[in-house]
Amino acid sequence: MNLLEKINAAAEFIRSRTKLQPKVGLILGSGLGSLADQIEPADRLEYEEIPHFPVSTVEGHAGRLVLGWLEGKPVVAMQGRFHYYEGYSMQEVTFPVRVMKALGVETMIVTNACGGLREFLYPGALMFITDHINFTGDNPLMGPNVDELGPRFPDMSSAYDPELITLGESVASELEIETRKGVYTACSGPYYLSKAELNMVRTFGSDTIGMSTVPEVIVARHAGIRCLGISCITDMAIPEHLESVGHDQVVEVANRTRPVFIRLVSGIIKAMSL
Amino acid sequence: MEQVVQAAQVLRDRIGDFQPEIGMILGSGLGIMAEKVASPIVIPYTEIPGFPGSTVKGHAGNLVFGELAGRKVAVMQGRFHYYEGHSIQTLAFPVRVMQQLGVTMLMVTNAAGTCNPGFKPGDLMLIRDHINFAFNNPLMGPNLADLGPRFPDASSAYSPRLQEVARKVAAGQGIQLQEGTYQFNTGPSYETPAEVRMARTLGADAVGMSTVPEVIAAVHCGIEVIGISFISNLAAGISGEALSHKEVLEQIQVVKDKFIGLVQGVVEKM
Repeated sequence: MNLLEKINAAAEFIRSRTKLQPKVGLILGSGLGSLADQIEPADRLEYEEIPHFPVSTVEGHAGRLVLGWLEGKPVVAMQGRFHYYEGYSMQEVTFPVRVMKALGVETMIVTNACGGLREFLYPGALMFITDHINFTGDNPLMGPNVDELGPRFPDMSSAYDPELITLGESVASELEIETRKGVYTACSGPYYLSKAELNMVRTFGSDTIGMSTVPEVIVARHAGIRCLGISCITDMAIPEHLESVGHDQVVEVANRTRPVFIRLVSGIIKAMSL
Repeated sequence: MEQVVQAAQVLRDRIGDFQPEIGMILGSGLGIMAEKVASPIVIPYTEIPGFPGSTVKGHAGNLVFGELAGRKVAVMQGRFHYYEGHSIQTLAFPVRVMQQLGVTMLMVTNAAGTCNPGFKPGDLMLIRDHINFAFNNPLMGPNLADLGPRFPDASSAYSPRLQEVARKVAAGQGIQLQEGTYQFNTGPSYETPAEVRMARTLGADAVGMSTVPEVIAAVHCGIEVIGISFISNLAAGISGEALSHKEVLEQIQVVKDKFIGLVQGVVEKM
């Protein structure tokens, strides 16, 4: 079964379980999964039910697709995402984006938790991603191109939609939420980078460092989906004053920032014109 | 290694006592060079054991032996790319087979975007050096000691002697030849503006999705390399325009004659 057939089988199964035609896709990173609980009314599909969806390797991780209404918009949200460092191929990581496109999604909001490399960032800061650097050494589009899905050589010159960033900033300012803008670099992970590596990433022009988002955005752009990316800075990764960072701290900051992050994303969805 | 020897044997049976001295691997838009080869012996990749089939529609896949500019050449009509899903070792395979057939020099060309503000679309760039940004290397795995050393030196991967030849030929033809470093990215998505700024910071003048795997294989087995990039576009973020493959191919049409003239001139003198 080729990729196109797998996408269609997954989309067909989802359509058999919901009447909703989603326009906005949400991929929610560490700590933001609970936004999907606010989708109401909603149809919830476990990943394991959906044909050809990757199966979660992490025990106790909620893995479900939530389809329903959020802030007056028909959305499909991934509650639980797939990471490259878990051992999935880039194609598996991005399969849900292909399915979202097949369901009718035209705009995608992707969020993550990441480390900040610049003084203008701080733990708890929310940052609109203006651009990315793929530092994984892999690309989800490698292999024969499926012309029905997009072009062989997709343009990435405005991967993060400038109009959506402007919209996001104006919503943030109305809600009196402070935001930043910057470049996000994805590395494979799963270990946190060394000081020398952080210095390298900063030197080649990145403001933040994380382990997700870029594969999904490359595939979304290949498919012609508009993207908005928002990072929650959970730890400072400035090499000169780097203290050891643990996942506990990342989760703690993500949890503390969650209410304001959710307000921002909800506000943007509400303000979005489809 | 057995596969390399076997492929070379199959080819020798087909080309008889013809002994190629120069290998040519040509990028987007220059496939036409293979049609200029005199007394050609055309062997489809599908008839060579160990050669992969090309995944790109409409791409001819032939190894063409014959004479070009008075030299005995082996031209790859249709090349393999890492982004197509081939292993990086697969990209090295044809180079190794050429070496077994007696090839001592390799001409590689490609189309690339430039991140050097002093370059412009239509320029030709002599590759002085490269940056392998693919996180992979065709020499990984057990070393093929019959071909070359475990740790090959890449300090002069692009032959200074052949670079000098190219400079003289270009000057003789009135071509202004840029010179610089080519960075190999996996693709197939074009670089983002942030990735282009990174490439510039790292010291690259041009970015592309080919060439470096073949050059590493050639250096390993002692083949002298000359590389020429055709600058098809300003890389992302420099012009503010969106990139398309169509634009690349159109730009090649504009300067194709200049490029062909240079390649032929260099082949003659190398």
